[in-house]
Amino acid sequence: MEQTGFSAMERELAELIVKTLKLTIDPASIDPQAPLFGEGLGLDSIDALELSLAISQRYGYQVKSSDPDIKAIFSSLRALAHAVETYRTK
Amino acid sequence: MREVPLIGPYQRDDLLAWGQEGGRTAAQFLRDVYSLADQLPDRPTVFNLAANRYEFLVGFAAAMMRGQVTLLPHSRVPHLLREMIRDYPDSYAYVDHEATGAVSELMPVLRRQHSACDLCPSDPPLIPWDQEVAIAFTSGTMGKPVPNRKTWGALTSVAQATGARLGIKERERIIIVATVPHQHMFGLEASVMLPIVHGLAMHEGRPLFPADVGNVLMAVPERWLLVTTPIHLRACVVEGITVPKRGLILSATAPLARDVAREAERQFQSEVREIFGFAEAGSVAERRTVAGDWWRPLDGVRVEQEGTVCVVRAPYLPEPVPVPDRLSVAPNGEFMVHGRKADEVHIAGYRVSLGELTSKLLQVEGVQDGVFVMPDEQCGLVTRLMAFVVAPGKSSEEILRQLRTHIDPVFLPRPLVCVPKLPRNETGKLPREAIDEMMRQWREEKSCEQ
Repeated sequence: MEQTGFSAMERELAELIVKTLKLTIDPASIDPQAPLFGEGLGLDSIDALELSLAISQRYGYQVKSSDPDIKAIFSSLRALAHAVETYRTK
Repeated sequence: MREVPLIGPYQRDDLLAWGQEGGRTAAQFLRDVYSLADQLPDRPTVFNLAANRYEFLVGFAAAMMRGQVTLLPHSRVPHLLREMIRDYPDSYAYVDHEATGAVSELMPVLRRQHSACDLCPSDPPLIPWDQEVAIAFTSGTMGKPVPNRKTWGALTSVAQATGARLGIKERERIIIVATVPHQHMFGLEASVMLPIVHGLAMHEGRPLFPADVGNVLMAVPERWLLVTTPIHLRACVVEGITVPKRGLILSATAPLARDVAREAERQFQSEVREIFGFAEAGSVAERRTVAGDWWRPLDGVRVEQEGTVCVVRAPYLPEPVPVPDRLSVAPNGEFMVHGRKADEVHIAGYRVSLGELTSKLLQVEGVQDGVFVMPDEQCGLVTRLMAFVVAPGKSSEEILRQLRTHIDPVFLPRPLVCVPKLPRNETGKLPREAIDEMMRQWREEKSCEQ
């Protein structure tokens, strides 16, 4: 796997994901380009919901399934970090 | 032979479903069902995996017309389907556009072709009352899913009684919006059967995030009824979504906290009603959460203490069904729920035995000892199970990866903690106090933060 390094937002979100979802992995071990759900970290729809609340509370960005690129937003840590940076209100 | 029509008191042009593509009338629905029934393969059972609620209903109805039984797997994870197909080898899968490719390796797959049906009858087909139409699955003690067979009589009776209790009138202009999957027993009863029995409309989608729920409820052209769970409702309350028009909220699958119900009633300007039920019996009783702890059985349903267990009796249940919870029943038939029986836990709307999960954990290569436990405090929206494992030389990721192929993802431990040994007593048992102490010690290192 290509070692790409984390941006500041990716690192913040990796920590938020591990803490919010009580995962037993090192945040730094999340591949920023790997899928978060399904096969990747094995997260489910309740995790998506839980994560969306944490993101909303910290960054003021309310995730919606009707967002045109919702599948892309949750497709990887990198995509999620990009979306949060784009839409954050705090 | 007693028969009940496929759909209730609709006029031809009444709205039956509403979604992104607009509305679908009762007449359109019947054309779709008759036309699909002709396309179905000649097989006894079907995995209905359709994500769109209307597509699910069309598949379910057409299968019923052909005398086929719809299987309701609560997960579409390939290895679970693979396990189930062994018991139902002549099945096919009915899917819509969102289905994944892994299914097609396991069985024939059918997608509905839109075709005209000029010669189709305009009346709904009649379905025998005692025809077995669906099987919902619960996890069994030996790890094999246990089938719960549902007759058309049971599904229609529960929907009748639920609607009556909620004060729903025939052909009332209501759109039912659901955050629960229709492959779940409560989802099937409340978001599919409830509308078609009473002549209401269903929303075709399944809003997940609070903002989605808010948007759908804003957009529905009629009064709404939100079928949901404590998890989704709590998320809506935390996000503070508001809705301009009044509706009705129906929650089930786990007990709803009264303060969440109170806050939801305030935010949505709508009553929050709760259903008590379980896969074996379906919906059993109802209450308005803010009004008190007592559950009122649905009309025609009786809950009775029989020796040490409580049972549910109803005209559509062939025999009394034991309740998986501890209850106390009042002389007027109302009851209070005191929690699950020992060893059984409830995660995200599904019930499982901790002993069964532990036995699966012990089958994982390299695991010497281990135990699944239910944490006594809740962080976040849903309580997840924990597991303590003794597996020298193995990482928790490795164990989880293997475990994932044996158990349903909702039951995967969060976290799975590797420990040098478990605090077993001299008889080899793990006393609850010792487990609590182990959890306490673990938490001191990694505190449970909100």
